[in-house]
Amino acid sequence: MSDNFELAINLLKPILVFLLMVQAVPILVWVERRGSAFIQNRFGPNRIGPLGLMQLLADAVKFLHKEEFFPKNGVKFLYYAAPVFALLPATLAFCAIPLSAPVKIQAFELFGHTFGPYNFLWQGFEVNIGIVYILGVSSLAAYTILMAGWGSGNKYSLMGALRASAQTISYELALGLSIVGVLLLYGTFNLTEMIAMQNGPLKFQWFGELVTVSFLPNWGILYQPLGAILFFAAVFAESNRLPFDLAEGEAELVAGFHTEYGGFKMLLFFIGEYGHMLVGSALMIIFYFGGYSFPFYSVAEVRDVLIPYFGTGNLVEIVNSLIHFLWFTVKLAIFMWIFIHVRWTLPRFRYDQLMDLGWKTMLPWALGNTVVTAIIIFFVHR
Amino acid sequence: MSIDVVLFWFLALITLASALGVLFFANPIFASLSLAMTMVSIAALFVTLNAYFIAGVQLIVYAGAVMVLFVMVLMLFDLKKEKRSFSKGTFTNLVKVCSVGVFAGILLASLAFFEKNNSTSILTGSYADNTKELAQLLYTKYVLLFEFLGVLLLVIAIGVVALAKSKGGTHDSNS
Repeated sequence: MSDNFELAINLLKPILVFLLMVQAVPILVWVERRGSAFIQNRFGPNRIGPLGLMQLLADAVKFLHKEEFFPKNGVKFLYYAAPVFALLPATLAFCAIPLSAPVKIQAFELFGHTFGPYNFLWQGFEVNIGIVYILGVSSLAAYTILMAGWGSGNKYSLMGALRASAQTISYELALGLSIVGVLLLYGTFNLTEMIAMQNGPLKFQWFGELVTVSFLPNWGILYQPLGAILFFAAVFAESNRLPFDLAEGEAELVAGFHTEYGGFKMLLFFIGEYGHMLVGSALMIIFYFGGYSFPFYSVAEVRDVLIPYFGTGNLVEIVNSLIHFLWFTVKLAIFMWIFIHVRWTLPRFRYDQLMDLGWKTMLPWALGNTVVTAIIIFFVHR
Repeated sequence: MSIDVVLFWFLALITLASALGVLFFANPIFASLSLAMTMVSIAALFVTLNAYFIAGVQLIVYAGAVMVLFVMVLMLFDLKKEKRSFSKGTFTNLVKVCSVGVFAGILLASLAFFEKNNSTSILTGSYADNTKELAQLLYTKYVLLFEFLGVLLLVIAIGVVALAKSKGGTHDSNS
């Protein structure tokens, strides 16, 4: 049963998650620029504001004031629709990711009404088949690339779009197969349940007896190291980042599918790309690094630690969720930094190398990982 | 009118509109994009039926992979002659009449089928675990059909490779 308060909160949540994602982008751009400068021994943007942080604001103003431009041979509808659609897949996918432990609000009284009890989830909306849904919506990203490439009426754009979408489709296979091991391990599609299963120290069934390794957390990466590596590599390819940014390849293709886009329209593509990185990092954390929960301490145990400070009321629930959210953000930041560091460290693949890696290396390894995991689970019984 | 009904009509309208778009767009790119839209809205319809897993798979396989390949290939060609031959009647009218007949036949047959077996779902569990049930049905009761489909797809894949090779192919055979 839901009343208006709950309904309002649940309707606001997707918007908040969307804003969260969009607001993270300027900071990430700043980190990327400063980080690349740090890696390459340069200064980076450091003039406007403290540490160059206001540079982003100046950039936004610049983007807004760019001249409106439409290519001569372009297709109007596709050209303008593509950047808008570019935001959709990443947003829809990010909304389904649990960002923190659910907040259980007890009944409280306000303005003479009694509200509650509520159970708010820290995600835009709950999807029971979490990961299948996320893979589904993010596979739609290929359309925006194709729409942009073809709608621009420019052969460099089209070539970039074809490359990018071919790459996305190829690596989607490896991506999908690399997580089958995780799905077998947890036996669920639901991301929240996956996180709950990674609580406590490492423990598993080994031919009928329970083995506990007290100094290691029960994280997925310890069960699925190969799957984790394959998944992370595939995420790089999915978000069109270096070393897989064949879609852009300035030397051959100017700027790939967004050659004809300038100003805010290009910024929308940019936000979409960072959104994919955020979704990929978040999935990486949820599958292999325990999600929002702390190593060794489950959500309930952290709450017990907090009770002496914040009482047993609603406050402790909110603080508990906020702490878990911060912990998730820290993990997310680490992975985003790995994304950025890899981008400024590795050179780009050649196109045939890229396809060979996807089809002839990652796909067989992911398939092998699936088979081996299935056999081990069947005989050893986790 | 409950929210479910509104949702159904909204989605049905989108599905039908984009399906009609496939037929009436002269430009093959727009036609295939609206076919993709049809796939997405059918996935949404599956969600309203609580078939979450099938909705997800519909999105991944049809909208995310198959239609993307279609759009990609269509973008590579400059289809002018083919477009004319389909729209101006060079393509024999007999084929059009035949396809209308086949479609009507399929429609009537499926209607008759559903009249007879009045909507008894084989999935009995709640929506939370009907994925598991679906998998169990696929691998026990329907395992033979499932494997046959797999073999069929394999045969198609090998056939395509063989055909492409016999026409020259893009890669050197000795590299």
